[in-house]
Amino acid sequence: MRTAAPSKRIDEPIHSGFLQYAGYRWAKLAILLCALSIAAYLWHDPVDGPNGGTWLGYTLGTLGAVLILWLTWLGVRKRRYHSRLGSVKGWTSAHVYLGLALVVIATLHCGFQFGWNIHTAAYALMMAVIASGLYGVVVYTRLPSAITRLRDGSQREAWIDEVFELNAQAIRIADLLGPEVHRKIVRSAENIRIGGGLRAQLYGPKTPKTAADADAGITEFLTERLDAVKARLTKGFDPNATAQNTVMFMAGQLVAAGKDEKEAQRLQQLLDVLSRRNALIARINRDIALHARLQVWLLIHVPLSFGLLAALVAHIVSVFFYW
Amino acid sequence: MGDAVRVGIIGSGPAGLAAACRAAELGIPHLLLEAEAHLAHTIFRYQKGKHVMAEPGVLPLRASIPFEAGKREAILEAWNARVAQLGVNVRYRANVTAIHGSKGNFTIVIADGSTVRAEYVVLAIGVQGNIRKLGCEGEDLEFVQYQLDDPDAYQNETIVVVGAGDAAIENAVALAARNKVTIVNRRDEFDRAKDGNNALILKAIEDGKLACVYNATVASVRPTPGAAKPGAVILNTAQGEAVIPVDRVIARLGATPPREFVERCGVMFPGKDPGAVPAVSPQYESNVPGLYIIGALAGFPLIKQAMNQGYEVVEFIEGRRPEPADAPLLKAKFARIPGFRSIDATLERIRARIPILSPLTPLQLREFLLDSEIRTPQPGEIIFRRNDYSNSFFSILDGSVEIAIDPVDDTRTLTLGSGQFFGEMSLISGRRRSATVRAGAGCVLIETPRRSMNKLIASVPSVKRVLDETFLLRAIQAHIAPGIDADALKDVVASATVRRFKAGETVFREGDAPGGLHLIRKGSVTVSRIIGGREVVLAYVPAGQYVGEMALLSDTPRTATVRAAVATETIELEGGAFKALLATRPELRARLEETYRQRVMANVNATAAAGSGSLVQFLMAQGLGEATDVLLIDESLCVRCDHCEKACADTHGGISRLDREAGPTVHNLHVPTSCRHCEHPHCMKDCPPDAIHRSPSGEVFISDACIGCGNCVRNCPYGVIQMGAPQPHRPSLWRWLLFGGEEPGAHTPVHDPSAPKKAVKCDMCKDLPGGPACVRACPTGAALRVSPERFIRIIQGSA
Repeated sequence: MRTAAPSKRIDEPIHSGFLQYAGYRWAKLAILLCALSIAAYLWHDPVDGPNGGTWLGYTLGTLGAVLILWLTWLGVRKRRYHSRLGSVKGWTSAHVYLGLALVVIATLHCGFQFGWNIHTAAYALMMAVIASGLYGVVVYTRLPSAITRLRDGSQREAWIDEVFELNAQAIRIADLLGPEVHRKIVRSAENIRIGGGLRAQLYGPKTPKTAADADAGITEFLTERLDAVKARLTKGFDPNATAQNTVMFMAGQLVAAGKDEKEAQRLQQLLDVLSRRNALIARINRDIALHARLQVWLLIHVPLSFGLLAALVAHIVSVFFYW
Repeated sequence: MGDAVRVGIIGSGPAGLAAACRAAELGIPHLLLEAEAHLAHTIFRYQKGKHVMAEPGVLPLRASIPFEAGKREAILEAWNARVAQLGVNVRYRANVTAIHGSKGNFTIVIADGSTVRAEYVVLAIGVQGNIRKLGCEGEDLEFVQYQLDDPDAYQNETIVVVGAGDAAIENAVALAARNKVTIVNRRDEFDRAKDGNNALILKAIEDGKLACVYNATVASVRPTPGAAKPGAVILNTAQGEAVIPVDRVIARLGATPPREFVERCGVMFPGKDPGAVPAVSPQYESNVPGLYIIGALAGFPLIKQAMNQGYEVVEFIEGRRPEPADAPLLKAKFARIPGFRSIDATLERIRARIPILSPLTPLQLREFLLDSEIRTPQPGEIIFRRNDYSNSFFSILDGSVEIAIDPVDDTRTLTLGSGQFFGEMSLISGRRRSATVRAGAGCVLIETPRRSMNKLIASVPSVKRVLDETFLLRAIQAHIAPGIDADALKDVVASATVRRFKAGETVFREGDAPGGLHLIRKGSVTVSRIIGGREVVLAYVPAGQYVGEMALLSDTPRTATVRAAVATETIELEGGAFKALLATRPELRARLEETYRQRVMANVNATAAAGSGSLVQFLMAQGLGEATDVLLIDESLCVRCDHCEKACADTHGGISRLDREAGPTVHNLHVPTSCRHCEHPHCMKDCPPDAIHRSPSGEVFISDACIGCGNCVRNCPYGVIQMGAPQPHRPSLWRWLLFGGEEPGAHTPVHDPSAPKKAVKCDMCKDLPGGPACVRACPTGAALRVSPERFIRIIQGSA
C-alpha cells in the first residue's frame, strides 16, 4: 500500500512514558551503579570496619553528593525551556532511577553507622526526600487517568458554568413556589463552596455546620412538601356524596388538582435541578482534589530537598573541619 | 438630467480616493461616488486605534494623497484633509445601481434615481460588497444600524436584532446580557450559522435570555415621537402583524457580493471560482472600453497597490503612459537573467517561451512576476529535495532541470527543458515534494509562491486545465505506472475524472460493484469495514496514494468502505481503460498485486486491533485527516503541570500558542488546541500581505509581514491562531527561583497599547534548535507531535 510516501525516519518508539524512557536506560544504569557499589562494599575490608572515612567511603560519599546536587538541578533544567541538554523526559527518568540508587549508595557510604548526629540527620532527610519522591511516582502513574475518567470529556470551566446555570434555574423555579422556598434556595446557592485553601482542595471544602444543616433541610423540606401535594392529588372522592355534590366536588377537585399538579411538577423539577447541581459540585471538588494531590507531594519533596542540601553541606563541612 | 463629468469614480476606498485626488489635482472634471456617508468605509469600520500597515514595504507609493503605516484615525484624518484641500467632488450616500452606455458616454444610475454622465468610469468598489439593508420603510432611520462595534456600549435598551447568521447571533447574545433583545429570523431555523453559534442561540432562547420570532420579516420601521421608545418595528409574522417598540434595531443581513453588479455592467469574469477577478489590461481597462477597474476588485488587495493604481488610472485615461510603480522592482528581479535588456522585452520573452504563462494578461503576468523570484542555479545545484515541504511552483525559462524520479536509484532521472514547469504536485496535494530536482546547464527558473499560483488558477481557466492534466499524468506515472511513457497512458488519462468529496462523504461502499481506482490528489480518506455490525476504521490513506485497486484486480465487489476524512479530491481511473493497460503491462500488474497483498495483510492486522478503530474515527473527526503534524497528549501520563504551555510562552514572546486543557479527549488521548499544520492551511486562504508560509520542513508560520487583519484567526477551523503582541522580555529563572516574582513562561506580558497586535500561532519552534519546546519540556513524555500516518500506526500497535 505504501506506494508514494517512503518511510522518512527509522521508526523508534516515540511514545513511552518517563519510566520506560529509552528502554529503561537509566534504570539499567542505576542497577549497575548499585551492583558495583555492593560488590565493592563486599570486597573491601577496611581495618576498622566499613565507614565513610575509607577510600571507598569517600568515593561513595562523593558520588552521592554529586548525585544529590545533580538531582536537585532538575528543578532548574525543567524550567530552562531553551535548553537542548537532553529532553526533560529523559531528565525525569534519570532523576527517578538515580534518586532510588542513592538509597543503596548512601547507605553503603555510611557503612550502616547511625547515631544522633548531623550525619545521620542528613541521611534521614535524604531518605525522606526519596520516600516523598517515590510517592510522587505513584501519584504520577495513578492520578492522570483518574482525572481523565472523572472529566469524561468535559472540562471544569464547563461544569462551573453549569453550576451557575443550574443555580439560576433553581431560583427561577423557586420563585414560582413562594417566598419561603425562594429564600431557602438563594441561601443554599450562597453556601456553595468550591476549592479553597490547600486543605479544602485536598479534602473538599468545609461548609459551615449551620449551612450544611440548612442544605440538608432543603431536600427534606421539598420532599415533604412534594409528598403532601401528591397525597392531595391521590385522595379519592367521597362515595356517600350525592350526585349533585359529587359534580361540585369533582369540579373543585379538578381545579385544585390542576394547581397541585403544577406544583408537584415544579417541586420535582427543583429537586432534580438541586441534585444535579450538588452532584456537579461534588465532582468539581473531586477534580480539584485530584489535581491538588498531583502537586501536593512537591510541597514536601522540594523543601525537604533544600533541607537536605543544607544538611549535606553541614555534614561535609563537619567531616572535613572537625573530624 | 444629472451631472456630466469626464471621470466618474465609484467607491472611495484607497483606490478610488487616489484616483479622485489625482483627477482633482490635474483639474479634470470628476465625481467620486460613495455609498456610505464617509470616505473609505472598510477602513472606517476598523476598530478604533487599529494599526494599519503599509505592505508591501518595498513598493514605493505614488499618489496625490499621503499614506503611511499608522493608526486608523491618523490615516482617515490625513485623507479627509487632503480631499478637502484638493477640492475633490464627492457625493456621499450615492449607491450606484447600474452603469449604462459606452466609452465617452456612460450613464451611472444611483439608487435615489438620479444619474451622472461620465466619459470614463473607474470602478473601485473592492470585494467587501454592499451591506444589505432592511429594504423597507425606515431602513435608514437614526436608530437602525447595520453593524455593532461594542455590545457593551448599550444597556437597558430594547433591541431588535434582524438576521440569522453568525453576526446576528453573536450580536444578539452579547447584547442580551444587559438589554432586552428580540431576534427576528426569516426562517424557522438558525442552521445557516456555525454549529457553535446555532447551539448558543438556541440555548439562549430556551433559557429565556432573549426572545425569538421565527418566520418573520420586517415590514417597516417607524419613529414614534412622544412614545416611551423612540421607534417601533412592525413585523410580518405567521400569526399576522406584530409591533415591537424599540430603542434600537440592529440588522445583520450580510453583504451582496459585488460580482453580480459588476457583471451587469458588462464586465466578464474568467471563471466561476468565487476568488476569480475580472481580467483587466495593463492600463486597468476592463473588457468594456472606457470602464476601468482598480484595487481589490482587480485582484490587488493591498492599500498601497490600490492607491498607485488610482493615480495611474487617471494618467492612462489622460493618454499618458507613466512607468508603472513596480518597474524598479521588476528591473531588479530581471537583472539576474543573463542577457537582460528591458522589462518589456523580458516580459515578451517569458510569454513566448513558457506556454502556461502565455494566456495571462500583461497585468497578470507583471503581478505574477512581481510575486515570483528569478533563480539562476549552478548546474547540479539542488532546487528542492524529495520530502521537502515547500510548495512553490517553478517554470523553466532557460536551460533544463533533472528530476530524480526514483526514491532508491538516484541516477534514474527525467529531464525537463525550457518552457516546461514542475512543482505542481506539492502545490495541488499540499504534501511533501515527491522527487528531488537538480539544475542543468544554463538554468533560469521562475519560482512562484503557492498563493500567487492559486490566484492564477482561480482566474485563468487554461492555467488550471494545463496544470490539472499534467498533474494527472505525472501522478499516474509516479504512483501507479512508473516508467510508462505518456503515450501508453493516453487512454487511461483520458478516462480519468477528478472527483470531489466533502468531509465524511463516501467514495465507495463495502459491497458496491467494482469500479475505478481512486488516486487521492488532495485531502485524505479512511478505509473501514463492518465488523461485528459496527463500522471499524482500518486505515488512513493520505494524498498521493490510491484506493480501490482490489476491485480492478479481482473483479469482486468492493471489500471496504472508503470515506473522505476531510474535503478530498480524487482522480478516478475508469476500470476498463486501466485493465486494458494492465493486460499489456505484466510488470504493472505485478506491482498492483503486491500492493494488494500488502493491503490485505495490513487489513488483517488492523482488524485484529479493531479497538483502535474508534480512536482513528475520533481523530479524523478532529480534522487530523488534513493535518501534517499534530500535538497530542497522552492523558494517562499528563500530570497537568502545564510546562508545555509555559515552554511555549517562554520561547515565543510570552504568548503560549497552545491551550493544553481545551480540546476533546477520547481513551486518554487528548487533542489540545494547537496548530496541526494542515496540508492546505485554511489560514493561508485570505492573507492580504501573504505573510503565512510553509517552511521546507513543513511548519506553517506567520512572518513579520503580518498586518494584523485577523483573517487567519477567522479562517482557522481549529481556533489555534490568536492576536497578540509578543514581548521580547523574558523573566529570569534565577531571580524567580531565589526571590519569586515573574515566573518564566507563566507571567503575563505587559501589553504595550501602541504595539500593533499581530496574528500568532505555533511555528513548531522552527527557529529553535532541538524541536518543539512543548514536547521537549514535558517531564513525563505525555506530549508528542506526530504526523497522522505515523500516529495511526502507533495506535494500531504496528510501530
